[in-house]
Amino acid sequence: MTAAARVEEAVKEYGAGETRVRALDGVSVEFAAARFTAVMGPSGSGKSTLMHCAAGLDTLSGGRAWLGETELSGLGDRELTLLRRERIGFVFQAFNLLPTLTVRENITLPLDLGGAAPDREWLDALIDVVGLGDRLQHRPSQLSGGQQQRVAVARALAGRPAVVFADEPTGNLDSRSGGEVLGLLRSAVDTMRQSVVMVTHDPAAAAHADTVLFLADGRLVDTMQQPTADRVLDRMKAFDGRRGKAAAR
Amino acid sequence: MNASVRIGVRSLLAHRRRLLGTVLSIVLGVAFLTGTMVLGDTLRANFDTLFADADAGTDAVVRSARVLDAPNVPGGVRAPLEESLTAKLRAAPGVSAAEPSVQGAGQLIGADGRPVGGQGPPTLAGNWIDDPKLNPYRLAEGRAPAAPGEAVVNRGAAKAGGLKVGDSTVLRTPDPVRITVVGIATFGADADGMGPSTFTALTLADAQAHLTPRGTGQVSTVRLRSDTLSQRQLVDEIGPLLPDGVEALTGADATAQSTADVSGRFLSLFTTLLLVFAGVALLVATFTIHNTFAIVTAQRTRENALLRALGAGRGQVLGTTLGEALALGVLASALGLLGGFGVAAGLKALFAAIGFTLPTGGTVVHPATILLPLLTGTLVAAASALAPALRAARTAPLAALRDTAVDASAQGRSALVRRTLGALLLVGGLPAVVVGATRGPSLALTVGGALALLAGTVVLGPVAAVLAVRVLGAPLPRLRGVTGALARRNAARNPGRTAATATALMVGVAVVTLFTVFGASVKATLDDTVSRSFAGDLAVTAPATGAGGSGVSPKLAPAVAALPEVRAAVGLGRGLAQVDGHGAQLGVADPLALAQVTDLGRVDGSLADLGTDGLAVSRPEAQAHGWRVGSTVQLRFTDTTAAFTVRALYAGGGVAGDYLISRQAWEPHRVQDADTLVAVALRPGVTVEQGRAAIGQLAAAYGNPQVQTRAEYAESSASGVDMMLSVVYALLALAVLIALLGIANTLTLAVHERTRELGLLRAVGQSRAQLRAMVRWESVLVAAFGTAGGLVLGALLGWALTRASDGAGTGSFALPAGRLAVIALVGLAAGALAGLRPAARAAKLDVLRAVASD
Repeated sequence: MTAAARVEEAVKEYGAGETRVRALDGVSVEFAAARFTAVMGPSGSGKSTLMHCAAGLDTLSGGRAWLGETELSGLGDRELTLLRRERIGFVFQAFNLLPTLTVRENITLPLDLGGAAPDREWLDALIDVVGLGDRLQHRPSQLSGGQQQRVAVARALAGRPAVVFADEPTGNLDSRSGGEVLGLLRSAVDTMRQSVVMVTHDPAAAAHADTVLFLADGRLVDTMQQPTADRVLDRMKAFDGRRGKAAAR
Repeated sequence: MNASVRIGVRSLLAHRRRLLGTVLSIVLGVAFLTGTMVLGDTLRANFDTLFADADAGTDAVVRSARVLDAPNVPGGVRAPLEESLTAKLRAAPGVSAAEPSVQGAGQLIGADGRPVGGQGPPTLAGNWIDDPKLNPYRLAEGRAPAAPGEAVVNRGAAKAGGLKVGDSTVLRTPDPVRITVVGIATFGADADGMGPSTFTALTLADAQAHLTPRGTGQVSTVRLRSDTLSQRQLVDEIGPLLPDGVEALTGADATAQSTADVSGRFLSLFTTLLLVFAGVALLVATFTIHNTFAIVTAQRTRENALLRALGAGRGQVLGTTLGEALALGVLASALGLLGGFGVAAGLKALFAAIGFTLPTGGTVVHPATILLPLLTGTLVAAASALAPALRAARTAPLAALRDTAVDASAQGRSALVRRTLGALLLVGGLPAVVVGATRGPSLALTVGGALALLAGTVVLGPVAAVLAVRVLGAPLPRLRGVTGALARRNAARNPGRTAATATALMVGVAVVTLFTVFGASVKATLDDTVSRSFAGDLAVTAPATGAGGSGVSPKLAPAVAALPEVRAAVGLGRGLAQVDGHGAQLGVADPLALAQVTDLGRVDGSLADLGTDGLAVSRPEAQAHGWRVGSTVQLRFTDTTAAFTVRALYAGGGVAGDYLISRQAWEPHRVQDADTLVAVALRPGVTVEQGRAAIGQLAAAYGNPQVQTRAEYAESSASGVDMMLSVVYALLALAVLIALLGIANTLTLAVHERTRELGLLRAVGQSRAQLRAMVRWESVLVAAFGTAGGLVLGALLGWALTRASDGAGTGSFALPAGRLAVIALVGLAAGALAGLRPAARAAKLDVLRAVASD
């Protein structure tokens, strides 16, 4: 099976001179197609940076990144914009929706930006799945946080992108709303063969994934298949222990 | 609907309140522009109707082809015709009627002894034309003048002067003529007069006696009509009968020329002046709109970044913001267009209120008057939003995930570029202004330098803002404690924004200051001119022909000179000639006597023997033409061209003007003789009051011209300046209002932006009153910065304009401290006023909600 997205020897540095920070320090990973991959790691491990670079939101300082067969490093703003519009879906932690557009308009926004006519059947099915059929004419401010995030998921899926990147999608939600959003992502992978990459620091969220990648200090340190919340939590604790030791040393 | 457009429209609707100030700025600017153009169109059409009515029954006009340009007289001054031509024309085939017409200036005196009308509209006198089709006036009461001393006056003048049929009064032509009103006439069927002008009709013989140079046998024009021929055919028919130097034109052409003369001189000047102020208002509006869009775009950074992350191209984000501005521009311009009709009425009322009457009539609108303001308003909105829109388009998609809205305009590399560019503009502009104003003087260099200075000020604004707020706000912490300190920090935290907000006010204040300083300098120059060159004790004056009057009778000066109280009295007449192809006013006087009551400065040559072919010229004018004593100058009069020899040179810039000739030299060329000034020197031992009483008694018989002391004379010479200044202040009030809207708007946006911070302040114990005071003081600080900058810039440019427009180098410069202090106070007070609403809104914040807001 080919990878939906991958990076090779990815390096990302911020700042210059004394204040230089190396957020990614030679990471090579593949995000498998039609799978749900979670990226975990403590704060500052580089997990968000990895996602931003893989999704074409940010550019690498070194190494290479591919989306499917397309290499991102050589692309200009115009190509990257088209790539985001047509082949990538995003779900962010907060501020996901345009406050002035209705729920339906928010969902079809990436399609509208491309001037493409939405596939009505697909949209209806999607709206059905996220369970917001009676809220389509509402504004985001009239929805709860969980509902807003479901709209964001629907929007990410609307264009049937190659990959959905989700950045802490449950970070601002209570556990029940979070569970609903994760269930949605899970079912998108199972029923629609959607590739999903999710950055999170919540072991319970990571447990919904097929694979968990662990990052620390800008490096890939471990991979876990078929995770459960307990195993992920244990693994993370091991990090904290090691970091604690490193700090003591 | 296209996604970009939809997003643009939605955010417009969502941010209605925030954009209110922007809409208002455009509405006001466009309304002013429209008002100006509508007023121009309307006046032009009104004048056109007026002249068309006056010539309605006339098919052809015969007049002299010899015409001289005359400042203040639309169409110039023409030589008279021989009356005998009328009979010849009357006998021509196809001519149904030919009537002689005599026209001149005649100031009617009302029942209360005061002049009727004046200040702009002409005061006319002429003969009553018997043929009703050739005479635009109709008798409403009484009868036509038949005997010497009988007159018909137009109904408007009769009403204004309180005159009835049977009343006796005086007509100044300018020699006082006793007349009895035998009839009252309407213009056309039922208008009170030809616009606001006054008209007194005498018998033909009387009109010739008082209004033509020879006093008999001369007429101004001959008016003809034909029942059988077309206007063109009639003109062709009579053409061969006309002597050399006489021309015939159709009634339609005569109307068109009259309209063109008025539009060309008076109307274009008038509307250009108004357009300049509409331009200032729109310039100020541009700053305000730009600022609003810059802030709104900055506040929407995350929204735009989200759009970019979801795949919106740069062009789409640009299109959204620009589309929003365009939609706003179209909407606001349309509103402004409607408001413009109100402004046109308001402007007319304003000019009426200061005693400057314009003709009435229906409002006229040309298609261009609708298109141009619409286009201008829309373009101004789009252009103002261009830079913010470009910035929005450059938003990095990642900004959606961060909290960024840092203003770097006063730090880092962009600040260095800014400082360098601003400094270069100032360093280049200042010398250009100074050199342009003093050497040369070159208006182009001065204006170029002024523009560079303005641009430099705008560019350096953010850098200066930090410094200015620090300095101007220094006393605040001591005065208002922590509230004052916070206000000062807030004003300085976003230097780019503070500067842009203040710049709008700065431009407004700078223009106000510029005119104040220039006006004061012109007044000082006039004062100085009178005090330097007017050596007499009293002056007798009346508005001259072309300034809505008929001048002072030339017979008054000898009569005054004969009074026992008077040592010398000299009448200064105004003659007209063409010199080197340009109309020039000639001072007509006894030069030696004139030297007794006015100071002509150092005289080269001799004033004693000007004779009938001698000329005295002011030194700057002679220099400009390359003349010396002994040079020969060709003067073209209405009748002939004559060679004059320059016999004397004198200092310029005085009451005598640039050219002086003797009365004997002027006599053969005169048109309707009038003096503009009788300068009187009293005998030693006679007080000014005694002299004034004696002259006043004598002048009563000459139509009661004004008798003024030296100070009063200087004051009244400068009164036009005050009138102009009050008009300018009224017109600039709008620009300042727009600038204040900008301050209020920026503050409202800032309050919105700082909701959390303000909530925090309230949560830790700041009272509502303290919060209000904090916002208000910030407003005052921004206004103070703008006002201070405007005062400095305006004073500098005022000085430059004064110097640059003073070719002779004889003018004065004055800084009116009192007025400038008033401007400063008004600027500060207005700042406090602008802060009221944002402060009230900030104080209404719900503490909990504010802290929790996202």
